[in-house]
Amino acid sequence: MSFQDFHGNHETVTRIREMLARDRFSHAVIISGPEGAGKYTLAQMIAKTLNCLEQPVTRSLPDFCGRCSNCTRIAQADDLEARFAEAVEVREAMREADRRDARILIQTHPEVIVVPPDPPQMLIKVGQVRLVIDSVFYKPVEARSKVLIFTESSFMKEAANSLLKVLEEPPEYATLILLTTNPGELLPTIRSRCVAFTLGALPVRQLDEALSRSRGDLKPAQRELVARLANGALGRAVSFMLEEYVESRASALTMLRSAIAGSDHTELFKITETYRAGIEGRDKTDQLLRTLYALFEDLLMLKSGTPELVRNTDIRGELSRLAQAIDFEWIVTASQRLAEVERGMRRNLLRSLSLDAFATSLER
Amino acid sequence: MPSSGVSVENVEKISTATSAAMEIVLSQAELLKELTATQGVVERKTTIPILSNFLFEAAGDRLSITATDLDLSLRTSCAATVKKEGSCTIPARKLYDYVKLLPEGAITIKQMENHWVQIRAGRSNTKMVGMARANFPALPTFPSGSATKLPVLVLRNLIAKTIFAISNEESRYTLNGALMVIKAESIAMVATDGHRLAHIETKSAFPGVNGELKTLVPRKAMNELKSLLDQTDQDFIEFAKDDSTLFFRIGGRLLTSRQLTGQFPNYEAVLPRDNNKAVVVGCADLMGAIQRVAQFADERSGAIRMKLDKDEIRISSSSTDAGESEDVIETSYKSDPLIIGFNSQYMLDFLKVTNSGEVRLEFKDAQSAGQVRPEGGADDYKYRYIIMPMRI
Repeated sequence: MSFQDFHGNHETVTRIREMLARDRFSHAVIISGPEGAGKYTLAQMIAKTLNCLEQPVTRSLPDFCGRCSNCTRIAQADDLEARFAEAVEVREAMREADRRDARILIQTHPEVIVVPPDPPQMLIKVGQVRLVIDSVFYKPVEARSKVLIFTESSFMKEAANSLLKVLEEPPEYATLILLTTNPGELLPTIRSRCVAFTLGALPVRQLDEALSRSRGDLKPAQRELVARLANGALGRAVSFMLEEYVESRASALTMLRSAIAGSDHTELFKITETYRAGIEGRDKTDQLLRTLYALFEDLLMLKSGTPELVRNTDIRGELSRLAQAIDFEWIVTASQRLAEVERGMRRNLLRSLSLDAFATSLER
Repeated sequence: MPSSGVSVENVEKISTATSAAMEIVLSQAELLKELTATQGVVERKTTIPILSNFLFEAAGDRLSITATDLDLSLRTSCAATVKKEGSCTIPARKLYDYVKLLPEGAITIKQMENHWVQIRAGRSNTKMVGMARANFPALPTFPSGSATKLPVLVLRNLIAKTIFAISNEESRYTLNGALMVIKAESIAMVATDGHRLAHIETKSAFPGVNGELKTLVPRKAMNELKSLLDQTDQDFIEFAKDDSTLFFRIGGRLLTSRQLTGQFPNYEAVLPRDNNKAVVVGCADLMGAIQRVAQFADERSGAIRMKLDKDEIRISSSSTDAGESEDVIETSYKSDPLIIGFNSQYMLDFLKVTNSGEVRLEFKDAQSAGQVRPEGGADDYKYRYIIMPMRI
């Protein structure tokens, strides 16, 4: 592994490496980008480069070796989900009294601490921030610098506030990296203390190339479809569940057809009935809502005369037919109604009924 | 406790070279004693799995036991019949709880495949699963040469008289420890949280020290050191430090702590010099009076008012919820009257550790820091406690 393995966003990565080369990497950094853009991967690479024992240079810029004891120990946290699950499991196994105060942290290398949002609320809590602040003022022993990685910007209010002091005056050996899909979610006082880097979307062609290496299970046509549906995020493309998506899209199309043609409701009811209560139903519904939005976007592209931007390329024919039956107004209303359904979900409205209401309200 | 400075370094060399299936036999009582000593370092609330494990390393005729929470680590050892040298990790809490319940006698600990460890004692047979030894954090080694010998009794007293004043605020990280100042003929310890400061100094010879050896000892290390000092029968411990780590060798046990970053503030500047209104009172009288009055102080600030008048001190408090209270202590105070406010808890913290004889209170005015010292006595210690006044 090295920086060569980071896909896309070449300019940002080079800028970061140039800062590292001059030993001028900022003590507080925000890396923003959509889900799956590689924020955490990049943060891990920075942590490794800062602490690599071999300090190799590639293309005359600092890199990491991936083999030394520091790189390998930091790399144990590369699989964030697995380490996170382990940490949660450890906490579950604790005695009641200890569990209440135990905070989820991932620290496969003593000097690199990864702070994920704490379940079940999935927020970064003040206890976690206090713990890492407490430990950041101990001098590093096994590496040159101490790196704190906050994997999401969903801070609880006091947690964000308690971070301010250390963001402003971190010890000279410390680097704080905040990852976020939406920098606006961070306090302005945090943003003003950090240097921001943005990871942009990758072009479809580049994703397609990357997929051809990592997803042998996909046929070329499927690959292109995934590359388009991943919204420019490599992580999302690589882990894209095509079958699940197609299934969800089939439901979405049925709903649209029913909304546009609007005669017989048996098909519609049969579909919406499967969106049940409970956690499984929630994930399924979220996926359906996202898919519906994606279809609206495609319809919009067709209506605006930019068919080359359509993402669901495999059902272009069907989409064109649908597009002929509707106008801009309809798409606007539909997406507003969909937003209402989304809000309703947060208030725990009955899923199947909300979806029925959504589809029938769009009939003409 | 083993009397000599145990071959900890030897164990290290062997354990990194091989990790064959370890097998040892040792006494339950000895093992339990060492496990008890290391319990304090094992972090119970950590979600980093390896930290809730002990590292066991068997070599020669000893078993070395290590626990760490990354900031602090403690390595100890006990005599064992080593059938096969090697190392492994064992869940700390479970092992301790289990060994506690075993009857006295021999215990056999044997390493199995996939990090399983078998523990047999008499008719009891248990298996536990540890983790890969390679995951255990690397431990700093005691720097060769340059160790300073510290007298146990002195250090114990120094810690007890200052530890309570260490700050708890994470933002004032340079105050999250006590400063230990060693000179050729004296040793001093200072701790402060910005509102009060405890300073204690005594004469003691440190032949190897040139100039001043200043060390900021983190609170966690102070706590652990304190309990290790309470358990030891040695007269001296060895102390050393390198760029990032502090080392304390107490008999066969080695406590290491990471150093805190930053400079301890220049405390000498805040020591009051011209506090000219002094009064001497019995420590127990004062403590009793403050404890009673503090019941009726404002709950958040704990503020009490001290009124020094001719031949008496009036200590009073009032809060809107609880009511008000006053205590009077007779003294031989002759200077001008003075009214000054203090946090009662800060006063009590000091009185509790002094806990005998008389104390001398020295003031300047209601806006300046007060100083409290134990009065007279044949004590070799120079102990002083500075408290910032409160406006009330």
